[in-house]
Amino acid sequence: MNTIPARLARAAQISASPEQARQRVFQLYRDWYRAAPEIISLYALPVSVPFFRHAIRRKFEENRYVTDQRVIDVLLLKGRQEYQETMNQWKMYDHVMGILLESRKGRPRSFLEKFYEGRDEDAVLPAATGV
Amino acid sequence: MSVLQACRQAFPKRAAGRVLVSARGLSTDSNAPAKATEEQSDIAPIPQRDVVTADVVSGAPAELRHRAVRIFQPTRSTTQSGSGKSHRWRIDWDILPGAGRWENPLMGWASSADYMQGTRLSFRSKEDAIHFAEKQGWDYYVAQPEIKRIPPKNYSENFLYKPNKLRIVRTK
Repeated sequence: MNTIPARLARAAQISASPEQARQRVFQLYRDWYRAAPEIISLYALPVSVPFFRHAIRRKFEENRYVTDQRVIDVLLLKGRQEYQETMNQWKMYDHVMGILLESRKGRPRSFLEKFYEGRDEDAVLPAATGV
Repeated sequence: MSVLQACRQAFPKRAAGRVLVSARGLSTDSNAPAKATEEQSDIAPIPQRDVVTADVVSGAPAELRHRAVRIFQPTRSTTQSGSGKSHRWRIDWDILPGAGRWENPLMGWASSADYMQGTRLSFRSKEDAIHFAEKQGWDYYVAQPEIKRIPPKNYSENFLYKPNKLRIVRTK
């Protein structure tokens, strides 16, 4: 597949006002939303279009309450980069399935599992639980 | 009420050891909406500063927001007389309480699942370290360095004339 490197590339932009940042976020969300069927066929993902859109929505909802405009601009830039890399098929199957569609929350642990691990708080979890 | 109880109430446990500064008001907690809390008169409000909430875009795991970091100045190496490397300020993480460490069953090596256990950050000044921790939304506490007192050399004291006092003649 022939890709043009500059396709979908966007220069970093500083929003003039919170309202403009909001509009840019909406535009980015719309682009992701509309690209869902294309991405699924591009990478041959075994997920449905509503699930993909739900995962995208979850990613946006994670940063819903960010108010710092500079941070919003950085997030927008990162989102645009992700979008470009995804649409140009610069990612691989596992990048999309494991990172983009992955849910942050792990499986809920039962009382006994927490007891065996010796920890009950969910806030701080080590990368592994050892033996 | 006994005296002991009164003392316990006067000095809570936390205040004795370290003072934990919460940067939660400065960071962006993306999971909950900001809610207005009523101000109490005896609590001084945190002065608003312009701190970039870098934790949202830093890519660091969100779990780090729940762990306090220690800001400290390392002590001089015991085996060296020079004070090198003890002028910089460091940030490091406390060990994970409970789990995250185990002994390797084959070789007996100490293993850890804590991805922050070997990480330490170095800063030129305490203010730099505090600013960084606030930007990242980490709770921190500052371990104040001990003030070194270098006693004056008193070799010549051995040879001073003091009336009515025997001079100490030291031998090996």
